[in-house]
Amino acid sequence: MDARTEAPLRLKRTWSSVFETGFGARIYPYFLVFPAVVIVLGVVVYPVISGILWSFYDVTLRKLVSGDVAFVGLRNFQRVFEDPAFLQASYNTLIWVVLNVIAQLGLGLALALLLHRAIPGIGFFRSGILVPWVVPSVVAVLTWRWMYDPSVGIVNELLVRLGVIDAYHPWLGDTATSLYAVTVESIWKGTPFVMLLLLAALQLVPRSILEAASMDGAPGWRKLWYVILPQIRVSFAIAAVLTFILTVNNFNAIWLMTEGGPLNSSEILFTLAYKYGFQRFDLGMASAVATMLFIGLVIATTLYLKLMQAREGD
Amino acid sequence: MRKILKSGIVAATLSVAMGHSALADNIVMWVNSPLLAGPNAPLHQELKAFEAATGHTVEVQAVSHMEMERNLFVALSSGAGPDVMALDIAWVAGLADAGLLLDITEQTKPIAAEYQPGPFASGRYGQKQYALPLYTNNVALFVNDQMLEQAGIKKAPTTWAEFRDAAVAMTNKDKQTYGVSFGGSRMGAFQLYSYIWQNGGEIVDNQGKSRVSEPAAVEAVDFLAKLYTQNRAMPESVLTAGNWDEVHAPFIQERAGMVVTGDWALAAFAKGNPKLKFSVHPLPSGIQAATVIGGYDLAIKADTKFPKASFELIRWLTGPRSVELMRKYERLSATTAATTPEAVAALPKPLQPFMSQAATGRARPVIASWTQIHSDVFGNVWDSVIRGKPAKDAMSEADIAIKRLLEKK
Repeated sequence: MDARTEAPLRLKRTWSSVFETGFGARIYPYFLVFPAVVIVLGVVVYPVISGILWSFYDVTLRKLVSGDVAFVGLRNFQRVFEDPAFLQASYNTLIWVVLNVIAQLGLGLALALLLHRAIPGIGFFRSGILVPWVVPSVVAVLTWRWMYDPSVGIVNELLVRLGVIDAYHPWLGDTATSLYAVTVESIWKGTPFVMLLLLAALQLVPRSILEAASMDGAPGWRKLWYVILPQIRVSFAIAAVLTFILTVNNFNAIWLMTEGGPLNSSEILFTLAYKYGFQRFDLGMASAVATMLFIGLVIATTLYLKLMQAREGD
Repeated sequence: MRKILKSGIVAATLSVAMGHSALADNIVMWVNSPLLAGPNAPLHQELKAFEAATGHTVEVQAVSHMEMERNLFVALSSGAGPDVMALDIAWVAGLADAGLLLDITEQTKPIAAEYQPGPFASGRYGQKQYALPLYTNNVALFVNDQMLEQAGIKKAPTTWAEFRDAAVAMTNKDKQTYGVSFGGSRMGAFQLYSYIWQNGGEIVDNQGKSRVSEPAAVEAVDFLAKLYTQNRAMPESVLTAGNWDEVHAPFIQERAGMVVTGDWALAAFAKGNPKLKFSVHPLPSGIQAATVIGGYDLAIKADTKFPKASFELIRWLTGPRSVELMRKYERLSATTAATTPEAVAALPKPLQPFMSQAATGRARPVIASWTQIHSDVFGNVWDSVIRGKPAKDAMSEADIAIKRLLEKK
């Protein structure tokens, strides 16, 4: 018997061999992701669908206990639109988001440009500027609340000494200033994150392009507008979308500083949904507001994903 | 013989142990966190005594006041939550209306006379008893004696006119001192209820009718609002103070000469400014004396597995032993035994005015939508009037809102 006639060596078959060929091999990847899919369905998809469905039912805790939950169509949305607080909250949400996004992007870009320089000790400043972002949001908000105190707050003292105001002002207690006062805190807290994103993008801009622009005699602002911004546009857009989403979801700042007051002057849709759900225990109305917010955020998230794809394309 | 004896003892021990464990129930209890401050909190000792006497075990958990109502609603609605719970007297109606509390009407009928009528009534909703009072409190007038004297006033105010005069006299723009510290939104709302009743007004009467737009109620709100809008006798914190710490702060800092608050302030003042010289007085009265009562009740979950043991526990904690238990916390027992002259005299001096005015105590309306009326409607009324809205307009709008809430089921 020569070598060619010897029986081929075979590995011993195990139970997992069933996944190596044929139908087993085809379902193997699905088998691996199945646990993750179940978890995502349970903790993400189900709550979202349940929340959307609840917005069409008359759900209060009382009715939840008695099991007397009735389908009411669009009645919850109608009740929400009839509530003057909703209109006020919608308007405030618009102001809140626009101011936050514009200010955080503007300041974030300015800081990123400032810190994108090779000077001694720049690492210290880069780290220092991140402090607001790493401070726990509850600590930050409560600190700002005391800073705004109408009797002993440092903000008032500073502004009086600078001659900006004549007397102490209740920034959080005045319906005309409460939303803007909270917005300042939110901008302070969120800007370092934007700065970080843009600084990372700036560091990827080829130095040769900047040098070429300088040699062509382009002044600073032209270099920024025609050279730097196009180079970081995808990161800038991502920062804008993320800031938008984080601002809409920034519950802590408003809730801990003003609870949406006084007289709904700093109420946003998120805090209103919370009040409907956990103060009035009207889960139908809370779900209606949350559904509207969800649709807005889905649009923004879709935009975000498209931008991600565009960046990959680049 | 010795072997048989040994076996007998072992068998007897086992049977007693098994029998005991078969009878013993494990009760889960939630209480407001101040009652469980530290491992040596008096409640721990009291629960040990209960366990020793009954054989039941109690698993007690602390929940903060601000989170208690929401947590109870959410937990009990989902079938979870404690067997026994301490709850602010203002929450009883809402939880009972939602079907989350056990009806204890029959068990409490024979013992009703042991409790002060106001606190006992706070546990009743829709002609049924759902809770027993753990402790009671009310609001009184705290006065900074030094500031009062410096303002040239000899005695603490006892009428509205004296109250306003004292507040104005203690207000000094240059020194940045004010007459009286008040809360904003729902905190201020809680403080103003006493004044509405003192003026002969009502919020929601026994027939369930809103009466907030009537002149007596409007006048009371107007009186308090003008202390800020006209007299500037309240510090600016009235616009923002959303918790007791912020209401108390100007008084602790000696920037406000008076504050309307309850016995819970005593510990805060002692901690915040140990050198503060103050005295406590019954609330200055209007047409009649009245003070809003507060406090905590104990109630049982509707579908508890241990209804009998749970009732034994709330009876233990709210019964005669509560006089001594609450004295350890410097709080007021809600039993009638606590109101005798001897019992009042045995209280620490700052607590005596609270108990002496307990007879004029009024509970807030025991209606299911009270939390919403208090936070949304009255919170907005107070926020509006201190920002210049006429009290009549604010109370008319409140009347409409309350009627709408009362009609809603």
